[in-house]
Amino acid sequence: MVDLGLTDAQEMLRNNAHRFVQDKCTREVVREIDESERGFSESLWKDISEIGWPSIVIDEQYGGMGSSLTDAGLLFEEMGWACMPSPLHSSSVLSALVLQQAGTADQRQHYLPLIADGNRIVAFAFSEPGYGWGPESIHTQANKVGDKYVVSGTKLFVPDAESADSYLLVARTRATDVSGSGLTLFIVDKEVPGIHVKEVSGWTGDKLYEIAIEDAILTEAQVVGEVNRGYEVLEPILDRGTALLCAYMLGGLQQMADMSVTYSQNRIAFGVPISTFQRVQDMIINIVNDLEAVRWTTYEALSMIDNGAREQDIAEAVSMAKIVASEGFTRGTENAHYVHGGVSVDMKYGLYLYTKKSRTLFSYLGDPAYHKKRVASLMFD
Amino acid sequence: MDFSTEITYSAEQEKFRQEVSVWLSENAQIPAEFKIPRETGDMSHELYNWVREYRKKLGAKGWLAPLWPSEYGGGGLSVDMAQVLEEELSKRKIPAIYDNRLAAPAMMVWGTEEQKQRFLPLINKGDVITWQAFTEPEVGSDAASITTSAVRDGDDFIINGTKVYIGGPFSADYIWTTAVTDQTSPRHRNLGAFYVPADLPGISFSDMELIVNVGKRFVYYDNVRVPGEYLVGGENQGWQVAQTSLEIEHGAGGSIGEGASRDGGVVAALFDYAQTAVDGAGNPLIEDPRIRDLLVEARIETHIVELIALRNYWMFNNQKRMTFHGSQNSLLRKLLAMKLGNIVLEVAGPYAMLNDSNWAPSRGVFESHQRQAITAHHPGGSSEIQKLIMARRLGLSRSKEEAAPTKVA
Repeated sequence: MVDLGLTDAQEMLRNNAHRFVQDKCTREVVREIDESERGFSESLWKDISEIGWPSIVIDEQYGGMGSSLTDAGLLFEEMGWACMPSPLHSSSVLSALVLQQAGTADQRQHYLPLIADGNRIVAFAFSEPGYGWGPESIHTQANKVGDKYVVSGTKLFVPDAESADSYLLVARTRATDVSGSGLTLFIVDKEVPGIHVKEVSGWTGDKLYEIAIEDAILTEAQVVGEVNRGYEVLEPILDRGTALLCAYMLGGLQQMADMSVTYSQNRIAFGVPISTFQRVQDMIINIVNDLEAVRWTTYEALSMIDNGAREQDIAEAVSMAKIVASEGFTRGTENAHYVHGGVSVDMKYGLYLYTKKSRTLFSYLGDPAYHKKRVASLMFD
Repeated sequence: MDFSTEITYSAEQEKFRQEVSVWLSENAQIPAEFKIPRETGDMSHELYNWVREYRKKLGAKGWLAPLWPSEYGGGGLSVDMAQVLEEELSKRKIPAIYDNRLAAPAMMVWGTEEQKQRFLPLINKGDVITWQAFTEPEVGSDAASITTSAVRDGDDFIINGTKVYIGGPFSADYIWTTAVTDQTSPRHRNLGAFYVPADLPGISFSDMELIVNVGKRFVYYDNVRVPGEYLVGGENQGWQVAQTSLEIEHGAGGSIGEGASRDGGVVAALFDYAQTAVDGAGNPLIEDPRIRDLLVEARIETHIVELIALRNYWMFNNQKRMTFHGSQNSLLRKLLAMKLGNIVLEVAGPYAMLNDSNWAPSRGVFESHQRQAITAHHPGGSSEIQKLIMARRLGLSRSKEEAAPTKVA
């Protein structure tokens, strides 16, 4: 039955999260982290860990909260509203869900409680120079030699690689064919020889890294899930991670609406608040229209996952939400710049943090072109 | 949260569905001799009369206004039951006839108890057809600038003026009309809202020729004497009363399930066309990446409007505070219709403009959509007016504004 409301517990979760980011993750804090060497704040991470956020989707048996994705979405929405930089999404969503879903008992027992406590950060190393989010985009090769794997290749655009203690590494062990993706997942601790991490410089919303892998030797104990069936494990987890990423983008877009409304009401030009100009109103209305589209496509995707919809329907809902979020958040920051005028590019004002975040997340986990192809294929093939 | 409109129904709902289904099997069978019209204006008088009788039977059970209290002619149903009813009704595909029942919520909010007892059952039971007559030549977006006058004469009002874009095919029993009751008062304090019997002496009509055949008229009031009992909400409250009707018309009430975007089947026809047609080289359109992107865009844009309508349905029926939401629904629906028109044109090319019996795809749905989309852009406030209202409700304008009251149950 249609119920679009939050429970009392969810309202409380959201309000607490909102108060937390207002207090601990102000615009100044975000700027400071953004300009720091690793784009990472030990103290903020410690604060987040104390209130249990890194454990949100991890099962209770591994020390997690085992919350629904809708609950987790509320946290991500607030993080997005504050533009909070953290490895929470890579580590506690994508990597943790892979380990929880496909890891051996040892891997789960070892990694998940550490991730849940915030004592271990696992970066999610998927994308490569030929950027894409399907199995065909993975060219990093893992060759079986005896009982070892020798891995070579380049991972690119990987967030959180510097602050991470481990990587969830996706490599090719066979060609993609009708029998499966041919990908295999590995959990790799940082000290492995042959793995070199280097920041890729640019105007990016998160610090992004290149991971150069040259003949790194991995063992069978590091394989997560079935060999050659890595993407089969990943695809539904990518959908869950994408839905939560959309929630983060939704929060960011909400901030664009909030900032634009407040600024336009208080900025006087020609003797009146600029909000009374219809051309300015149009920009804000465009933000609000994008905002509500992102909100309801995202909430729908999250609730379908929580309510156990068919994977195919979840995939379609998530891809639609990501298309809407990528386009909406990017356009929303653009409109916010128009509303604010010159001050919008003043670093002290901080709007640019959202601008570059929106453009980085535009592509992350699949850009609109990728997801449109995916939806078309789900609908018509 | 739960977005599913296809739900696990309670035993009580299933029992009700059975009851509705049996009743509809007996009462909703359109006689085979009636031709189903392509556009409202093509409907035969016989079919029109049949639909009116069917609606009266539906109304007698309270099913024409299922969420309304039964004392005012509604069904007194819960939202759960109303949803089941809606689902069963939509399966029968009975052609709609024009009956603008937006006078009812306005009367519920602003009418006297006597008026509510007298008129609401008539409207809610389908005993009468109502046409809404607010706009006039030279009025358009500035709805408060009407010049139709209602001059008090004892207990009566004498109404003079012209209304435009009114009603539908055949005739009405009442005309829900705004008129200037006080020539000296300022805007928004000078109007009255009248529920005018359509057969009063001095009322006449003439047909309009529009690009869609929906039977719109001019209505002429020539010294029409309207007794005071038909004035709703007091002598200078007409603007406020009309706002309640408009709030609902803008989409505050929302809608649920298939067709919430009111696309008239054009998206289904578009998908069907793209999956069957070939291009000049004989390649299926559905294999063209550009066409596939357009189809996905049509799907997403339509789905967004469905979700916004669902949001409003949920907010409205759960008494959530609504601000910009009604106008946003209306705005996005209007923009969607235009966008779909353009997508259809890109996908089907010249076929998008045909109603030819030999060559038109999907019996001319594309061609009809081109005209419908443009026509639907203006009633109830153009897209620009919806933006204006949104801006006010977002607190951006000089005039602060709350949503008009719409409480029904």
